[in-house]
Amino acid sequence: MLSIRQLVAGYGSITALKSIDLTVPEGSIVSLIGANGAGKTTTMKTIMGLIRPTSGEICFQDQNITGQPVHQVVSKGVSLVPEGRSILSQMSVLENLEMGAYLRRDREVQHDLQKVFQRFPILEERKQQLGGTLSGGQQQMLAIGRALMARPKLLLLDEPSMGLAPLVVAEIFKVIQEINQEGTTILLVEQNVRQALKIAHYAYVLETGRMVLHGPADAVANDPKILEAYLGGRRVG
Amino acid sequence: MDQWLNPYYLQIVMFMLINAMLGISIYFTLATGQLSLGNAGFMSVGAYTSALLSLKAGLPLYLSIPAGGVAACVLAAVIGIPATRLQGIYLAIATLGFGEVVRVIILNMKVTNGALGLSGIPALSVQIGKQLNSLGLGSGLGGITVQQLSNLSVIGLLALVVIFLVFFALRLRHSRLGRAFAAIKDDEHAAEVTGVDTVRYKLLAFFMSAFVAGIAGALAAHITFYIGPKDFSYHRAVEILLFAVLGGGNVIWGPLLGAGILTLLPELLRTVADYREMIYGGILVIMMIFRPQGLISEETLRLWRSKLFPAAKTEQEAVARRSAG
Repeated sequence: MLSIRQLVAGYGSITALKSIDLTVPEGSIVSLIGANGAGKTTTMKTIMGLIRPTSGEICFQDQNITGQPVHQVVSKGVSLVPEGRSILSQMSVLENLEMGAYLRRDREVQHDLQKVFQRFPILEERKQQLGGTLSGGQQQMLAIGRALMARPKLLLLDEPSMGLAPLVVAEIFKVIQEINQEGTTILLVEQNVRQALKIAHYAYVLETGRMVLHGPADAVANDPKILEAYLGGRRVG
Repeated sequence: MDQWLNPYYLQIVMFMLINAMLGISIYFTLATGQLSLGNAGFMSVGAYTSALLSLKAGLPLYLSIPAGGVAACVLAAVIGIPATRLQGIYLAIATLGFGEVVRVIILNMKVTNGALGLSGIPALSVQIGKQLNSLGLGSGLGGITVQQLSNLSVIGLLALVVIFLVFFALRLRHSRLGRAFAAIKDDEHAAEVTGVDTVRYKLLAFFMSAFVAGIAGALAAHITFYIGPKDFSYHRAVEILLFAVLGGGNVIWGPLLGAGILTLLPELLRTVADYREMIYGGILVIMMIFRPQGLISEETLRLWRSKLFPAAKTEQEAVARRSAG
């Protein structure tokens, strides 16, 4: 569904991605893991069109989307749940969700809104509340709900577990799996390697702008180097 | 009656309405979270365009005034495309610089008569007076002289423009466009990832602001009959900004209130006219410390609405519930 070839991108004179290749097959969950500064968020931003790549190619559903403006990428069916959530804090929960459907002109927006409320009942309870007044976990749910309102074919999640309590993290990961089972392809960026590998089908490991390892998630999880560097020991929990 | 309709009072009301337009003009850019200080520049372009077209080309006012707005808009396109890429304080500085560039150009051009400015600009009130004469109202109406009558007509015309703009701004809030503006203002990054074409909407807000400032400038030129580069200096830009800072930039009523107060205040404080800029600076600092959101904020409106129309409020909530449920 998504294929990235020899992508080079960065900020000014700093090259954050040094020629990476990545493929996300339709219907799968692909995890992109790595330490701080490895280039995970840069990858996400470049896919969305927030950063213009220096070279390389990004194809979504066999269409070249390299360097296209964000709103066109969104309208093709790619949605991003940004790192740090980026809730519209001065708008109500309902308005946040409606903004998610900004580019849609079909009549099923209300139906999808109900689906989001079913998935996250707390959002329905708080729908008149301002986005900024929600707790961290609720904001993450709102950010995911907002991304779903665009009816994405491919959902990009940038560190959904950031700053959340373990119980909430577990819930978010459960929801991600559900979304995937309902047919949305997912590319997940995580520092919570253990959780990310547990739900993923396939995993890529990024280190300072280079892809150092990739393979089926359980193979990556049992790789001695990964065990050592990210999972703090020999056994996967 | 005569006491209230003296030309001095009438002129203050006219200035208030012109300033209200300028307040609306800065509101449009603030609605997308952009701090643009180029309004004085756009105002001068509108004023000079309309003044020159009517003076030198003999264009009637109902054509030259809109032409002033269009000219401001064209210039907004030229500087807006690079300028709206800038954010926050950088945009403010760039647009402030633009205003000064326009002023210096006007100061040095022959056609604009340099520092002397343009005088004898066809006056709106005189034109209207002629129309009234031809309607057989040359001797006035019900004790009101024809001068007063034509001045009142000018006020009526200005008020219509302001009412239209306010109506437009209020409608905007609930439109698709307004939602995009609000999202950009709230969090530009978030707006972008939901698919809002932020560049286009920011530019559009910039155009709207320039057009309104241009129209306001054109109208001002035909009300004062004289314009000079000094009228559109840096102080003017700061004054327009103050409308929003004092009144509040989040709701349309804020800049309107600010414009009203800041037009009346200098007239009431004629005796301390020398300290005007100082007082403005003081207001700016005091507002930033004690009420950064301005006199009227969204909470203020909500509070008054619930006080004045307790029934309407619950109804509104019910509507919100229904539309969501």
